Amino acid sequence: MLAFLGSAGVIAALIGSILLVVRGIRGARGGQSDLRAPGKLVLAGAVISMVAMQIALLNDDFSLAYVANHHSSATPFPFDVATAWAALEGSIILWGLVLAVFTWVVVRQASDRLGSAAVAVMAGVGVFFFGLMITVANPFEVCVDALATGCAASTAWPFTAADVPVNGPGPNPLLQNHFLMAVHPPVLYIGYVGLTVPFAYAIGALALGVPGPEWLRRSHRSTLVAWSFLTLGITLGGWWAYEVLSWGGYWAWDPVENASLMPWLAATAFIHSGLVQQRRGMLQAWNFVLVISAFALTILGTFLTRSGTINSVHSFTQSAIGPALLGFLVLVLVGSFTLFAMRSHLVASSPRIETFVSREGTFLVNNLLLTVYAFVVLIGTTYPLLLEAFTGTQVGVGEPFFNRLAVPLSFMLLLTMGFGPVTPWRGAPTGLLWRRLRWPTIVALASGLVVALTVTRVAWVILAIVLGVFVAAAIGGLLLEFAGARKAKSGLSLYQEARTVIGNDQSFWAGQLSHIGVVLVAIGIAFAANLPLHTEVELAPGESVEFAGYTLTYDAPFRRDEPNRVVQGVRVEVSRDDRIITVLEPSANFYDTEMGGIITPAVMSRPSGDLYLTLRNLDSETVQLGLDTSPMIWLLWLGGVTTAAGGFWSLAARRRDRVVEEPLVLADV
Amino acid sequence: MSERTRNIASVAVIAVMSVALLLLTSTQPATSDRVQQIGTRIKCPVCQGESIANSPSQMAEDMMDLVSERVSSGVPDQQIIDELLGSYTGAVLLDPPASGNTLVLWVAPVVALAVGIAMILWWRRHPGPSADDATAPGKSRTRLVIGGVALVLAFAGIVAVAANSLQDRPAAAAGAADIDEQDLSEVSNETMEAVIAANVEDPQINGMRLALAERYFDSGDYRSAFPHYLVVAEDPNATGAEAITALVRLGWMAYDGNGEVETATRLIDEALAIDPGSAVARYVRARVLWCGAGETDQAIETFEELLTDPELATETRTQIEADLEIANDGGGECP
Amino acid sequence: MTGRILRWAGLAVVGVTVVLAVVLASRFGSDPGLVDSPLIGKPAPEFTLAGLDGSEGASLSDLRGDIVVVNFFASWCLECRDEHDDLVAASESFGDQDVTFLQVAYQEAAAESLSYLAEAGASSTTRYLADPGSRTAIAYGVFGIPETFFIDPEGTVVGKIIGEADALILGATIDSIRNGEQPGQQITGDTQQRPDA
Repeated sequence: MLAFLGSAGVIAALIGSILLVVRGIRGARGGQSDLRAPGKLVLAGAVISMVAMQIALLNDDFSLAYVANHHSSATPFPFDVATAWAALEGSIILWGLVLAVFTWVVVRQASDRLGSAAVAVMAGVGVFFFGLMITVANPFEVCVDALATGCAASTAWPFTAADVPVNGPGPNPLLQNHFLMAVHPPVLYIGYVGLTVPFAYAIGALALGVPGPEWLRRSHRSTLVAWSFLTLGITLGGWWAYEVLSWGGYWAWDPVENASLMPWLAATAFIHSGLVQQRRGMLQAWNFVLVISAFALTILGTFLTRSGTINSVHSFTQSAIGPALLGFLVLVLVGSFTLFAMRSHLVASSPRIETFVSREGTFLVNNLLLTVYAFVVLIGTTYPLLLEAFTGTQVGVGEPFFNRLAVPLSFMLLLTMGFGPVTPWRGAPTGLLWRRLRWPTIVALASGLVVALTVTRVAWVILAIVLGVFVAAAIGGLLLEFAGARKAKSGLSLYQEARTVIGNDQSFWAGQLSHIGVVLVAIGIAFAANLPLHTEVELAPGESVEFAGYTLTYDAPFRRDEPNRVVQGVRVEVSRDDRIITVLEPSANFYDTEMGGIITPAVMSRPSGDLYLTLRNLDSETVQLGLDTSPMIWLLWLGGVTTAAGGFWSLAARRRDRVVEEPLVLADV
Repeated sequence: MSERTRNIASVAVIAVMSVALLLLTSTQPATSDRVQQIGTRIKCPVCQGESIANSPSQMAEDMMDLVSERVSSGVPDQQIIDELLGSYTGAVLLDPPASGNTLVLWVAPVVALAVGIAMILWWRRHPGPSADDATAPGKSRTRLVIGGVALVLAFAGIVAVAANSLQDRPAAAAGAADIDEQDLSEVSNETMEAVIAANVEDPQINGMRLALAERYFDSGDYRSAFPHYLVVAEDPNATGAEAITALVRLGWMAYDGNGEVETATRLIDEALAIDPGSAVARYVRARVLWCGAGETDQAIETFEELLTDPELATETRTQIEADLEIANDGGGECP
Repeated sequence: MTGRILRWAGLAVVGVTVVLAVVLASRFGSDPGLVDSPLIGKPAPEFTLAGLDGSEGASLSDLRGDIVVVNFFASWCLECRDEHDDLVAASESFGDQDVTFLQVAYQEAAAESLSYLAEAGASSTTRYLADPGSRTAIAYGVFGIPETFFIDPEGTVVGKIIGEADALILGATIDSIRNGEQPGQQITGDTQQRPDA
């Protein structure tokens, strides 16, 4: 029944998408056609398929092979809901749903040829993903060969299961070990899928031969939504890794992580360069390249992480999803760049840049750095694969390589972030930059000195502090300057005037909020990466150890039976100055399916940073613990959320900005 | 204070603080933990992308212990890494060297940066025509057709290659090789013994058991052949042909090895009970009786009867014809 | 001018994409987790290991002149359980033929390996060894178990089986070493890593 309902939803969405492609193309050629009806069909179909999957999961309907293989009746809320995107087939339902929503957004805006063309492209992508769902990655296959737990063979047709298992193994224990896994994928997917919208408008604009800024204006909100969610998703991913993967790290330059970073870098570059085209009409061709790349990178990332070419995940290796995604990636790249080449005589138009000492000049530098950054991540992630394919030699590329290239690039980007906001469009009058950056420089260096004298003299940390404070002070100084100028005229308070300044150009200041977020991330990483303490101890009950200013006392082992797992660990009292602060419980969580336990760290957060305890080994007499500190790690989470918040705030500003006829142009000040 | 004085003061303050910072940070003693540093450069072989310094797995811990032991015995970093690469290949090195086939990794980003800078400078000198000059696309239909064809061809190529490589996928997880499909001629007796011992429960193993027993039999090693023939003869799951072969061989060995004519005929009769028409059984039975009990006439009769069968294997036919000649000739002393 | 450059740039991207995609497509068949052992053809890393039960154990250099089969196993490894009977059979079949079977416990307490062997049935011709600190496993570049190495009488690693081995493959590999061949690396199936904790 649910198999039928779900499949019906998918097929409805597929038919709707095909109709949208046809009608979108007709509309793009100037014909009249109703896009809303098929748009609603796509949306309804995608919603129905997700609802069907959720009903199946919540009711433990193991007749569906997906439910049988990735769910268990003991899986608690919210992991039963999240199981819908815990594995490949299910995650494509989520992908389809998000895509349907974005398609609907584009359909609602489609009143002209450009809009119709964008709808056609969106729906074309939809055809691919809904097509996947009825072919190589069908989440609604029913079980025909049940195992004790799980399902060995399944079929799409007919919709009734021939053999229903009693229970399933449940989702991957690593994924059900933390609530973040329930929210992280949807957030990230909104980011990935959202990038389809600017791509669709770009292809539409190319196809119609209208490379002007209209497509940028139309896709700007979606781009911001996608970027903000992508930012949030990456932050949550790092946090999840930190809380679950038990090595105190948050970023390992793993292909899965790189897959999300590459589109983010491209999208970040695009947000800046799009602004240049909207303001100055420059970088038309470049924006097309960036948008196509950003979208292609999301598909490449999905291919790399889901096809098994990098990670040896056998179920994916064996499925045809890899070739399908690769084929689609090729179609996207070849199609887009062929179209780009065909329209090259149109997109090449751009006025001359007057001087590099201008906003657009700093944006050029920023784009160059971000593009090289993305390229470094791309080549580092794919090079082992390509080299082995060409020569059969195997090499590894990991953290040390990425850090060596990414750290200098990141610092250069920070520096550019200090210059960008204070530099006016078209060019800065002589002495303006000096006036605006003199104090930020002094404040930054002073902060660096204070930290160097009081906290640490590690060069990377000091550099991060100096550059970070420089960026923040430049932004703060600019706000003071504008508000001060208005105050002199109006006589209102500085605070009131600052609010007016921000309100008048909220999207600019929202961008600066994102910059502040990036600064926090940079400082957080600098501290956490350079100043952590680490040690391994073996303790008998009652024994204590001094670590990072705390006294840790091994109280006793414990064991807790929960519906879906057994938690086995030790209680460790954390005290300072003979006062117990908290009791930490580093543990290993044993799920039914895994032979071993999932090591789960216990974390105590303090303003100075985290104390991070990992269970290494536990026997009847002693416990071995890994002790770590992560100084100032909370800055990283705060910074990531702040960066995303800047994006959301900018979205809120957009509608109001339109009312303001003449937004504050910095060059006029 | 004049603007000029303020500027000079600012520059001075900035300069002094910069120098102070440089001095402070550069006098920081290097507290690099060599073990940890090497650890971050080696990928944990049992994990996905984590370094041995970061992975909580037992293997990573053991490797870190090894590294720390090597470091404390004064081995240079590169040698420790090379030792590990000697057993694990470069795939476990997270830090590819800027030489050989990983040089590209380090050069490419620099080249990309240089190309980017060159592009920006070039673009500044040669901006395109202004937006107003752009006209509607010319020859767009022809271009569209060419583009479309190229697209379809490229896509078809990819699909073809991908589909092809899917078919060629090695059956990596197929597990143990199939006994039946293996060419046994190149396999040693010990190997066959091992395979048989490991597959006692498998009814299909009788084929190999017989093949091995035949080898022993042919080399005259009755002692080794005997238990295998016995197992097949007593196996209720053995096919008729297998049981006949085993019984006939057992019978011949009973006669040839121990001179027990009675046991031999009893065994061969068991074979004939399964298939009264079995040529081999009838031949061997006749021969045992001829050689062991001197029943030459009966042997000649059986041999002649057997030779009338047109489907008799050539080898057996030659053998019988030779025997028949001896039997007919001069009193029939068996060879 | 700019337009033409952009056109060629666009088409160049198309070309590169197609080439790279073809290369990537060719990779679908292979398992990225499997790495060719660099040890094949090289002198086998020396080891002297004590027996699991505290007995004398074995030292590789003492076994020069024999074909040595080194198998890494553990009770937590399902494939190892599957191949156990075949290893015993091969060991007993080849045992008196200048072939020595060594089974090295991988990341497991000796007591656990011993109770597993008691239950599964140990071979009298195989020596079961303990590998404290995984030193031997690291020296042999073990990624996951089961992995089985073949060392010729001169002490050179000439063969490796990744995944579950059966008697036929074990025997055939030894046969080809006897014939002076170098069987190289064979992959028969999945390997397993130690579940954490």
